[in-house]
Amino acid sequence: MVKDTLRRWLAERFDLEQIKGPLQAQIEKPLPKNVSWFHTFGSMSLFLFVSQVLTGILLLVYYRPTPGEAFESVKFIMTKATMGWLYRQIHAWGANLMVIIVFLHMLRTFVTGSYKKPRELTWVFGVMLFILTLVFGFTGYLLPWNQLAYWATTVGTEVAGAIPGAGEWIKTLLRGGESVSGETLSRFFVVHVIVLPWAVFFIVLFHLVLVRFQGIATLEPVGQEKKPKPGEGIPFFPHHVTKEGMVFYLLLGLLVTLAILAPFELGEKADPLQTPFAIKPEWYFLPMYQVIKYFPKLVGIFIVSLAPLFLFIWPFIDRSKERHPLKRPVAMTIGILVVLSLLVLGMMGYLSESKKTCPV
Amino acid sequence: MISRIFLVSLALFSGSSFAWAEAPQGNSCVTCHLDLWEEMKTSVHSQQGIYCNSCHGGDPAQTTKELAKAPGTGYVGIPDKKQLVETCGACHANVEVMNFYGVRTDQLARYKTSHHGKKLFGEGDTRVAGCSDCHGYHDVVAVSDPASPVYPLNVPKTCDHCHGNEKLMSRYHLPSDAFKLYQTSVHGKALFEKKDLSVAHCASCHGSHGAVPPGVKEIGATCGKCHVNEKKYFLESVHAQPMQQGKFSECVSCHGNHGVQHADKRLYREACVKCHEAGSTAAKKGGEIFEVLKKSDEELRSAEKLVRRASIEGIFVEEEMGALEEAKTNVISMAPLQHSLSIEKISELYQKFEGVARDIQTRVLRKRQALRWRKISLVPLWIFVGIMIVALGVQYRRLKKDHEGKGPRG
Repeated sequence: MVKDTLRRWLAERFDLEQIKGPLQAQIEKPLPKNVSWFHTFGSMSLFLFVSQVLTGILLLVYYRPTPGEAFESVKFIMTKATMGWLYRQIHAWGANLMVIIVFLHMLRTFVTGSYKKPRELTWVFGVMLFILTLVFGFTGYLLPWNQLAYWATTVGTEVAGAIPGAGEWIKTLLRGGESVSGETLSRFFVVHVIVLPWAVFFIVLFHLVLVRFQGIATLEPVGQEKKPKPGEGIPFFPHHVTKEGMVFYLLLGLLVTLAILAPFELGEKADPLQTPFAIKPEWYFLPMYQVIKYFPKLVGIFIVSLAPLFLFIWPFIDRSKERHPLKRPVAMTIGILVVLSLLVLGMMGYLSESKKTCPV
Repeated sequence: MISRIFLVSLALFSGSSFAWAEAPQGNSCVTCHLDLWEEMKTSVHSQQGIYCNSCHGGDPAQTTKELAKAPGTGYVGIPDKKQLVETCGACHANVEVMNFYGVRTDQLARYKTSHHGKKLFGEGDTRVAGCSDCHGYHDVVAVSDPASPVYPLNVPKTCDHCHGNEKLMSRYHLPSDAFKLYQTSVHGKALFEKKDLSVAHCASCHGSHGAVPPGVKEIGATCGKCHVNEKKYFLESVHAQPMQQGKFSECVSCHGNHGVQHADKRLYREACVKCHEAGSTAAKKGGEIFEVLKKSDEELRSAEKLVRRASIEGIFVEEEMGALEEAKTNVISMAPLQHSLSIEKISELYQKFEGVARDIQTRVLRKRQALRWRKISLVPLWIFVGIMIVALGVQYRRLKKDHEGKGPRG
């Protein structure tokens, strides 16, 4: 009854038949047969982004971005606000899971050679999203204004300050002064809650438009891709969406479980006069942190800054037509080496300056 | 040698004058007694230009020993103890001289009222302590200098030079174990182990220049200099009257003197029965106070343990920690209050403490319960997630089967 009334109301105002066609085509657009569970990493990333926005809005209700109130307001959220502990923990865990899931999504794209012509731009937007996810983490980490956050930000911005030429300017721009202070908190807050969400929103939009427009890549070589005929492949709706629904519930359960069983501690309030022992960046920056240690400051920063550059230009370097991972031995070897070195460097960074040692 | 080079370098590089005096020019005392000058040059006196002749007389301007010590030069040589005390007093009791150094000038007057002074000036007993026995002579340094024998940390050992000498003390019918007892006391441990210079040592109770043993009536005043509240509440107690009549030695009767230990509630079991019969009303009252104190200690420890454990479990307990401080304050306040021996007042404070302790316990348990419920809520959550995944999975399989059955179109 309501449905019919609504349809009638809309039909009196819009040419529904004209809209229905392309919409139906998009909804039923068949996905190639090689679409697997690994292809749900993209929608998982999107789900986590939406979760971050929603929990972020709830946090904004009580959060106060000043050095005098930030720590206390987060503590208030965790102890007094109704279900505050839950949405704060989901936000914190969501941030960490998002880095993992976005990375896995990129890895899947790399392994299946989906970044190749004609989808180079989709990859470039994807790399942008991965970098912005890390920037999200870096800016959000400071907001609770606790000791670890304060000093990790001090070290992070100090690294930026070592860039030749513009380093000092970048450092001052990030900090808003000589040291990490209320100005820094204010800047990081604005970037975290205004600039980054909208930037990610629009880039995700471009990324999705390109994915829908160009379709999901098959494993056939460049130029020999066969578009699935109607009735062939897997329909996006309801088939693939049902699959994503299962992943959605799994991720929801995982987020809430982590929030309850492994909550992030708030620690101590930031004290600019007291440096805690062994300050380290968040786990996803540990490989970079470890690389910087092996080289003189400038060389280290140069090497670290090459990584995103390579990610951006990779589709333009790897011009071979093959997509199947077994037919791309060089690219796959490079990929495996990169993943292994990230894991080893990350582990070394984690164990450094601590009493923990690698089990032999 | 190395340390001297280091000190000289330090003096040169710091650009400040070093803490020893230069040898006086044309001083014939120093020419012959160079070894004594070595002792004296770091002293507080030589740094102020007070040399040998100020105490020993003589004329240091003369070039020969005979002329320097000739009659008319006021040469004293080695002064006897009485002379020594008066020589020191000549300057140290002179307001005009000492005014500029900010040093008090009543030492000699006080000394004369002390047992040491009375023996020396009244009976001519030179075995008693004079100025140099405590302060040293040629190498006298400021009291604030840690090297001084009368620096707070060194006072007990300095006194023990004589007061630990059994043979000497037996002449005066005094005990010679004061230092040994003091070392094991709560004061001695604080001084020697924690280096707490504010803690009571010999001079804090007996006085320094005017040293006398406090009498029965003065004990309370002596201890009360630091233990102000204990003194205040004691005067409200039933013991105040016998103390004023000289029948009861305040503080010492229960706590002892040189060997005073950390006050423990068990004193009620040990000290009361020294004067009161076991089972008497007074001893029972002591027992009641003991029970209240015991309960407070146990409940405080249990509350502390609960809060600590909750903190380890990741529960926010900042407010409870604040309340714990309030509870602790109540228990600490019982320490001086118990000297009033008023079970009513102590019970009143205990009830305040008990209320806070119970509140802490309730709040921590409530938070812990909430945490448990969060974990329990995971069970229905995963049942829901499981149902949804299974339902969607069944639907997905059905859709896939239907789709495969249809086959490609066109």
